[in-house]
Amino acid sequence: MSDTLTDLGRRALLPAGLRDILPPNAGNEARLIEALMARLAAHGYERVKPPLIEFETSLLEGPGAVTSDRLFRLMDPMSQRMMGVRADMTVQVARIASTRLKNAGRPLRLCYAGEVLRTVASQLNPEREVVQVGAELIGSPTAEADAEIILVAVEALKAVGVGGLSLDLMVPTLVPAVLAGLAAPAEDIARLRAAVDRKDMAAVEELAGAARPVLTRLLEASGRKDAALAMLAGLDLPDEARAALDRLTQVTDRVAAVEPTLAITLDPVENRGFEYHTGIAFSLFARGVRGEMGRGGRYRPNGDETGTATGFTLYMERVLQALPSPTPRPRVYVPYGTSRDEAAALRAAGRATVQGLEPAVDPVAEARRLECSHVWLEGRAEPVDAEQGTRDTP
Amino acid sequence: MTPPVNTFVNTFVNSPVASNEKLILALPKGRILSAIAPILRRAEIEPEDAFFDADSRQLQFATGDPNVDIIRVRSFDTATFLAFGAAHLAVSGSDVLMEFDHPEIYAPVNLDVGHCHLAVAAPAEVAANEDPQRWSHLRVATKYPNVTRRYFAARGVQAECIKLNGALELAPNLGLCRRIVDLVQTGGTLRANGLVEIDRIAEVSARLAVNRTALKTRPEPMNDLIGRFREAARAA
Repeated sequence: MSDTLTDLGRRALLPAGLRDILPPNAGNEARLIEALMARLAAHGYERVKPPLIEFETSLLEGPGAVTSDRLFRLMDPMSQRMMGVRADMTVQVARIASTRLKNAGRPLRLCYAGEVLRTVASQLNPEREVVQVGAELIGSPTAEADAEIILVAVEALKAVGVGGLSLDLMVPTLVPAVLAGLAAPAEDIARLRAAVDRKDMAAVEELAGAARPVLTRLLEASGRKDAALAMLAGLDLPDEARAALDRLTQVTDRVAAVEPTLAITLDPVENRGFEYHTGIAFSLFARGVRGEMGRGGRYRPNGDETGTATGFTLYMERVLQALPSPTPRPRVYVPYGTSRDEAAALRAAGRATVQGLEPAVDPVAEARRLECSHVWLEGRAEPVDAEQGTRDTP
Repeated sequence: MTPPVNTFVNTFVNSPVASNEKLILALPKGRILSAIAPILRRAEIEPEDAFFDADSRQLQFATGDPNVDIIRVRSFDTATFLAFGAAHLAVSGSDVLMEFDHPEIYAPVNLDVGHCHLAVAAPAEVAANEDPQRWSHLRVATKYPNVTRRYFAARGVQAECIKLNGALELAPNLGLCRRIVDLVQTGGTLRANGLVEIDRIAEVSARLAVNRTALKTRPEPMNDLIGRFREAARAA
């Protein structure tokens, strides 16, 4: 007995952070991905499908650099070069845009969906395989582009039924621009940075020197957009920081004009996890989801010093948490010998049919055993009620 | 003029989490509680009496603020509850926050209580007879494997950490390892066990830490509480 158990366990065990997705979740996930992709396609974003594995050097370019410490690597026996399993798809889409689609008209709109793998899992994020859906808008530096990518993400999430959406907007370049003006040793700047990242007001007050009024105001301004914008309006900033802040205001106004009921917060000091962004960045949250459902922002594409792009990535595991379980499609058990036309009519009416492959003594019990919601009896689909069924069949 | 009905709709849709859902504040068990109690009182979230009863088996407590409940957990678990969003706010030592350095956690207020520091210590004769420049690999007993590994890695030294949960000062004398990384308050325990401090890693004090998602999705009540803690800590 215990040998069988051990054997079963040995065969069922998967490596840490990997899992089988069973019915109905696998089907739900696939439908969710298709519904999101349909929205992106409707806005002119065309689907691309990069390979799961490619050369390590191309995966680590531009926005991919941050994935270096979580990339699965393997040696290609054909080229004798190191390959990596993608840990993020943005870098692959950026590569396609800058190589094969170099001559396609700009701005270029591309979208994608697929699995990514990472070597490290944490207690907080134990999955090592996650599914991403995303879009990239390449080649337009405008505030309209920043707003479009956010609005498309918001629209797609609302379309699939995510409720209680909340958008957090940030400019990861703002604090570095403020700190660049400080004549302080690198070590002090690093400590100040760490304090700002943790929103540690007391430490910022102690370390900020000449930047103290600006940095404390930026920290205090984090919150709902109207109050935040009011606090940020009169700040005395270096030119580069001023430009970053003006862009934040423009994008906030554009998004709010289209989505007046969307909850919008601003965080002018956020930077951790957004280090590769060169402009407006954002996170998306929803009621009932413990972390962010997606994020995005402006970045510099691979090997292109003057290029600019913006995009977003949605994490399917998190989006699924925000959605109620969908009503399952009715499954009708069709006993052995039923005509093919009758079964086809059921399918045409949107039901799934489960064909009996041999005569069953009790079709109702057989339907229940195969987890069907209905059974086809005398030309009608009768619901299979588990409790009632046991009482009716003595 | 906006018609009142729209105002209502906007307010409703704008709160992603129902405003009546309670905020959970995680507090660490142990001696630090008595230092935190006056701050809680000044911040108007004084816990119900059962909270201070060490024999109580209750784990979640009401407070003077009807929107805030308190949970009492082990000091290292405050950061875990917080990172997962199971607690929205926590009082955590900066040592714990350093160990679980995570972008999901902000630490906006230094409560300025529970002062001590994190230090590397070793038996006096070891400390006297060695040249840290020559270290390449060390075995260190600690409650803080991440902090320890980072500290030694920054000095080009590979530290093999032995995770212990207490009585660290015993480890060097019983041959488990030669060095420890631990919290030091007065240095009395180190001296009593023949150990001396080799280096100070960081100053430690209690912080109010908050969950990122909670701050972003419920900014008003979260910022209000952060402000109250800030005032309460200043008034000390």
